[in-house]
Amino acid sequence: MASVNQDNIPGATGTAPAKKSQAPAKTADSQSVLKRLQSELMALMMGGDSGISAFPEEDNIFCWKGTINGSKDTVFEGTQYKLSLSFPNDYPFKPPKVKFETLCFHPNVDVRGHICLDILQDKWSSAYDVRTILLSIQSLLGEPNTSSPLNPQAAQLWGNQEDYRKMVEKLYKSPNA
Amino acid sequence: MVSDSITNVSIPSAPINNNNARDLGKKKRARSAKLKQCKLDVRREQWLSQGAVKNKDCKEEQHAGLQGRRERNNHRSLVMGPRDGENVGSIHHQHQHQHHHDSDLDSNSPSSFTSSVLGSHDSETIFTGSSSSSSSSGGCCSGNITEDDDDGCLDDWEAVADALAADEKPKNQSSEPPREHEPITQLVPPRQIENSKPQCARAMAKAWRPDDAFRPQSLPNLAKQLSLPNSNVKRDGGVPWACNSVVSPPSSCPICYEDLDLTDTSFLPCLCGFRLCLFCHKTILEGDGRCPGCRKPYENDPVEAETTVHGGSLTFRLPRSCSMITRS
Repeated sequence: MASVNQDNIPGATGTAPAKKSQAPAKTADSQSVLKRLQSELMALMMGGDSGISAFPEEDNIFCWKGTINGSKDTVFEGTQYKLSLSFPNDYPFKPPKVKFETLCFHPNVDVRGHICLDILQDKWSSAYDVRTILLSIQSLLGEPNTSSPLNPQAAQLWGNQEDYRKMVEKLYKSPNA
Repeated sequence: MVSDSITNVSIPSAPINNNNARDLGKKKRARSAKLKQCKLDVRREQWLSQGAVKNKDCKEEQHAGLQGRRERNNHRSLVMGPRDGENVGSIHHQHQHQHHHDSDLDSNSPSSFTSSVLGSHDSETIFTGSSSSSSSSGGCCSGNITEDDDDGCLDDWEAVADALAADEKPKNQSSEPPREHEPITQLVPPRQIENSKPQCARAMAKAWRPDDAFRPQSLPNLAKQLSLPNSNVKRDGGVPWACNSVVSPPSSCPICYEDLDLTDTSFLPCLCGFRLCLFCHKTILEGDGRCPGCRKPYENDPVEAETTVHGGSLTFRLPRSCSMITRS
């Protein structure tokens, strides 16, 4: 691994100056976004994370569809949620817009699928990527922030995990159905 | 087999036809002719090895007969001097008679030729000699050879030889002088080229040195060729981006995933140790100016960041100077 990295460096010296001189142009910007998204996709597919997946829509790499499986030992166990990710032109310096496509009964998700998650807003960092976003949302499912809920009913019910589980099962519609 | 040998024989005539008598052109021609000749020899030897088996019975007769013919051929080759010079190589490659080669280079005297033929007592030698001289000197001895071996092949040789002779007659004089310069540019002196064909081919391929002033522009650049697969390997090796982030310093920018160059790898803008390329750093400074790794605002202002960028040669000290700035 280390040797591969060292090998990469001389190659970079050749390509980097050209890239940097072009970078301020808008076309080069979108190209670097393209490269980043393609790289993320590759890493996501190679990484083999269990419980999350994402793939670009057919003709637009700036729009992805992702899926999250409810974690084990949570009220969301056995459920799968579909999400949409929409990347801005200045991604990753600005966060993507992430929405639940599947109805999700959760204190921090509203009826239309909007997610209240700090890292998708003011706590965003360009070091985050699709993988960390999906993993964060997955962990958010089991650990909601009930103090500032988008769905007050869900926040109220969260204290009763058995009832909450029943509610989740009642409202859940498999995205594959 | 037959058609192969035809194409190989006819090639040397092409550059000669197209070139005027220029010094550079001459050099090129002589060398390309040699290259082609090398291939040609390989073919010829294959063909000869077949012929040798067939002709083992009439070996003795050929010895007697060909020596006589040889005398005549060499008279012809005196006339066709330069053209024969190209074939010298072929004779040489097939048999390691170095003196043979030398004497041929110096002069196409009948005596030197005959002696070399006498020195080697297998039918192959004789056959080679006669066939190469037939290709150089036209139909002179081709009639004789046709009697010896299968007709179709030799007829083709003959026809090609005729065409070559017709094409080259006017330019023979011009192709002579460059031969003297050749040992200078050739990495392997001709006399060291042994019988083995791959060696021969390789030696010929090296006839042009990369820094040779007369090297044709169209020839592929060896250095470039070498660098291409290497860079490909680097690209392929850089595929697992996810793994790269674990090792420090990373080989690619975690923000844009472009490869980090030397300046980038020694650029440490934040105490938290989060590395990124200068371009992404600049973009972040234009925005919220917070380190993506720790979300703390970058302490050094853009101007200082710029100066560190320009200290390209002092890259090794950059991280330290950066941290000093943040400490003070």
